Amino acid sequence: MIFIKNRKRRLVIIGVDGVPYRLIRDLSQTGIMPHTASLIKQGILRQMASSIPEVSSVAWSSIITGKNPAEHGIFGFTDLAPATYRLSFPNFSDLKAPPFWYHDPKRRSVIINVPSTYPAESLNGVLISGFVALDIERATYPKTLIPRLMDMDYRIDVDSQKAHSSLDLFLKHLDQTLKARIKAYRYLWENIDWDTFMVVFTETDRLSHFLWDAYEDPSHKYHQAFLRHFSQIDEAIGEIKSRTNEDDSIILLSDHGFERTEKNVYISSYLKNEGFLKLKKPSSGNYSDIDHHTRAFALDPARIYIHLKGKYPRGSVEKEDRDKVICDLEALFSSIEIQGKKVIKRIYRKEEIFFGPLSPYAPDLVLLPHQGFDLKAGLKAKEPYGKDIFTGKHTQHDAFLLVSDHSDDDIMPNNPSVFDIAHIIGRLCNGNTTPND
Amino acid sequence: MSAYSMHNQDKTCWNCPAIDLAGMVDFRACGQSLQISKARSDDSDTYILARCKRNPGLGVYDPTTITFAECPEWIERPYGYLLRDMRVMILGIDGYLGWTLALWLGNLGIKVSGIDNYNRRNWVKERGAHTVVPISRMSERLHAATSVLGIDINFREIDIMDRARLAEFIDEVKPEAIVHYAECPSAPYSMIDAEHAILVQENNVLGTLGLLFIMRDLVPETSLIKLGTMGEYGTPLTGRPIFEGIFPADAILKWDNREWSLGGELTPRDPVSFYHVSKVQDTFNVYESCKYWWLRSYDVMQGVIYGIHTDQVAADERLRTRFDIDEWFGTVINRFVAQAVIGFPLSIYGAGEQLRGFIALEDAMQCMVRLIASPPDPGQYGVVNQMSGYCSIRSLAETVAEIGSQEFGLTVRIQRVENPRVEADIHPFEPIYDNLPKEFAFQPKVSPEMEIYRMFELLTQPSIKQRIEEKKHLILPRTWWSGQKKPVETLEVIDEVEYAPRAKVYLS
Ligand SMILES: NC(=O)c1ccc[n+]([C@@H]2O[C@H](COP(=O)([O-])OP(=O)(O)OC[C@H]3O[C@@H](n4cnc5c(N)ncnc54)[C@H](O)[C@@H]3O)[C@@H](O)[C@H]2O)c1
Ligand SMILES: [Zn+2]
Repeated sequence: MIFIKNRKRRLVIIGVDGVPYRLIRDLSQTGIMPHTASLIKQGILRQMASSIPEVSSVAWSSIITGKNPAEHGIFGFTDLAPATYRLSFPNFSDLKAPPFWYHDPKRRSVIINVPSTYPAESLNGVLISGFVALDIERATYPKTLIPRLMDMDYRIDVDSQKAHSSLDLFLKHLDQTLKARIKAYRYLWENIDWDTFMVVFTETDRLSHFLWDAYEDPSHKYHQAFLRHFSQIDEAIGEIKSRTNEDDSIILLSDHGFERTEKNVYISSYLKNEGFLKLKKPSSGNYSDIDHHTRAFALDPARIYIHLKGKYPRGSVEKEDRDKVICDLEALFSSIEIQGKKVIKRIYRKEEIFFGPLSPYAPDLVLLPHQGFDLKAGLKAKEPYGKDIFTGKHTQHDAFLLVSDHSDDDIMPNNPSVFDIAHIIGRLCNGNTTPND
Repeated sequence: MSAYSMHNQDKTCWNCPAIDLAGMVDFRACGQSLQISKARSDDSDTYILARCKRNPGLGVYDPTTITFAECPEWIERPYGYLLRDMRVMILGIDGYLGWTLALWLGNLGIKVSGIDNYNRRNWVKERGAHTVVPISRMSERLHAATSVLGIDINFREIDIMDRARLAEFIDEVKPEAIVHYAECPSAPYSMIDAEHAILVQENNVLGTLGLLFIMRDLVPETSLIKLGTMGEYGTPLTGRPIFEGIFPADAILKWDNREWSLGGELTPRDPVSFYHVSKVQDTFNVYESCKYWWLRSYDVMQGVIYGIHTDQVAADERLRTRFDIDEWFGTVINRFVAQAVIGFPLSIYGAGEQLRGFIALEDAMQCMVRLIASPPDPGQYGVVNQMSGYCSIRSLAETVAEIGSQEFGLTVRIQRVENPRVEADIHPFEPIYDNLPKEFAFQPKVSPEMEIYRMFELLTQPSIKQRIEEKKHLILPRTWWSGQKKPVETLEVIDEVEYAPRAKVYLS
């Protein structure tokens, strides 16, 4: 029998966006991340499955709620508003399931930079939203904290546009963003009497998008810069660990993995060529131009929707024809090859991966690519595939989870996924599972 | 499809002034940027994030995905979809066009505001002239607009050069379009002497420049509809077409056995007075600010306006718009009609073969609403040549003479006088004016004959005829481009006016 303590236990959650299991293991072994290495020794490290699709908004929303996208409502960074072609960017107000910090209102939480938590909403504690957040004012709860953050030169995210003009400038801003984030965590750590403390470092993901090739290639001009960033992250992890007490539990995790991009593949381009997708003005690339002849269209990164009659203003596929269209799409996507390589590894039907009351809003199909292919909706793309300055892309199977605690040791699932985290958090906090399970 | 031609139905929130462009995301790098960069490259996965100021409930979305036709805030009106209760500010609202437009827009349900500092009234007074159609004081105009037409205008007496007060008013009203008429409109006035040239250029150029900064800081999403003039282009003697401000994509420069595309570049300007130079300078200032700050503007290269009629200004004597006939502020057709009314020979300068573009007052108003209804893209500097047709000054005089004598029984003579200006009086002319009809579905409704007839009707009223008589001595020019001050002399009096063929005005 498990003894349930009444005293509140402190929990620290450190997120590192887009860091693969492979990388955290390798860099701790090679001495670049010594603090992480000692944390691994204390706890259990496992490879973790991300959400489908493997993008931060879906993954983090699943992490903090423990729910399926068809329960929490976040299916991607973009969505079409119901019964329209309005491409909207769902945010925290669209999240339909409560994140863990509302599970036990008596616990005070500090939540820093979790993606898709903008605009900030009131809680017992402090919240600073992460990407995508449009202004610091609405990204901060309580607002009294704003002048403090301004003093620290706090930034929600590194300005990604910078990298297009200069990688050096991008690295400089990345560094400044990380330093400001560290200042903010220190301030809140010291000034709030918290029970749960969560901070996510998103710089790792940005860096990997632009410079994954630098990580893999020791002779690359920015190889050392890449490693330096991870050793800074490691120092932050070490510092946080050194500030915890014996009784505190620590979770270190990422939301998805990373690998090298060989090609960007634009799904809409295939849909257009095969006659599934018709735009009123072929060059425009606006969702508002979807024509009534369209049978299917795609949203980023690789979500496919059947253009059903009654569901969309110009929808034309009858309900009874849906299966046929799906089969045709499966045939198309399982056959595509680029330079002799198969592009799609797996095609998920909605029924296989989305469970919950919001499944009518879920994509009908989600594609998962073979290694190296970065799938994009690419409504504007003129070619079926291409290459740009990005050298790294997300992976679904290769996130990681590390739990270090002093309670029972069966808390770590054998094959963890992002959907398990809220449950683990619940157990670590008070031995309870999340409500309404 | 509706009965109206909805030229703006496919425009989206991208064009709408009620949008707040909040930032950009690039999901390939999970990257966000709060700086909107103009390089919205077509094949990229970069999205613009926008919020609707009128309907915050829509959340954050891609502004290209709601069209005017779909948006409930844009409602079907005679000249395209119009924003419900759209806020339009008219700078120079007391002027010939400003006042007429205020009532025209008010009549369409637009929330009109405006500023003026009565410069025009003072300049006319300074020359010893007056408007021959009497106009009321502003307070009375506003009162009459409310009581006769039910139109409430939010007016403030402000000099556009007073940036602090202008900024305050703009911040208060938050206009969704700004129509900028507030300049000195007179070429001869700018040629009187150094003081006048400097006054015109300061007022026009610096006034507009200050406005651009205010818009950048306070209302960057608002469209600026700025008045230029066809006179900015001059009349190139090569006879090359006078494009709408910007070379078309297939224009080519050939030289030294080599070729370059000119597509997208500003076309040459060859202004014809210091006033016109001020307009050219404005063109560059507006063009640059669209480039630097993503402001959005239509530069309206307006032909010569003529006429007195819209249903609103004709509704009450106190609502009339001004009408000037002196050498500085009178425009050519308006002057001809006034001259015909008092038996003063219609004076054409030089050979009278100058070709000019024209547009009736009411048609100009229609154009303005269509431009307001269909705002440019962020960062777009658009140009329209606004005219409904063109013809020679001489044939215009003949049309006026014909209507005056045949319909109103007047004895009308035409005289050629020395040309005080430096301009070609015989030249080729091929203006292009396709944008308004093609992009904005503009169709002229008023024929020159019809408007000239209406002008005779009004100007032959005894009290107005009397006011023309009083200022008869100010009709013939004495402001020479050379700097001389002496009356022009008559070259020839044409007694036998040939009336046929009648339709000498080429309507498009
Ligand atoms: N009337 C035409 O035929 C014609 C042709 C081409 C272009 N335009 C242009 O159209 C615009 C309007 O012309 P209009 O005929 O109505 O002239 P207008 O003189 O009657 O109107 C301009 C108004 O702006 C006001 N104004 C001038 N300077 C100001 C300042 N510093 N602060 C505040 N208000 C100021 C004047 O008092 C006047 O009421 C002008 O820019 C003119 O150059 C007119
Ligand atoms: Zn990423």
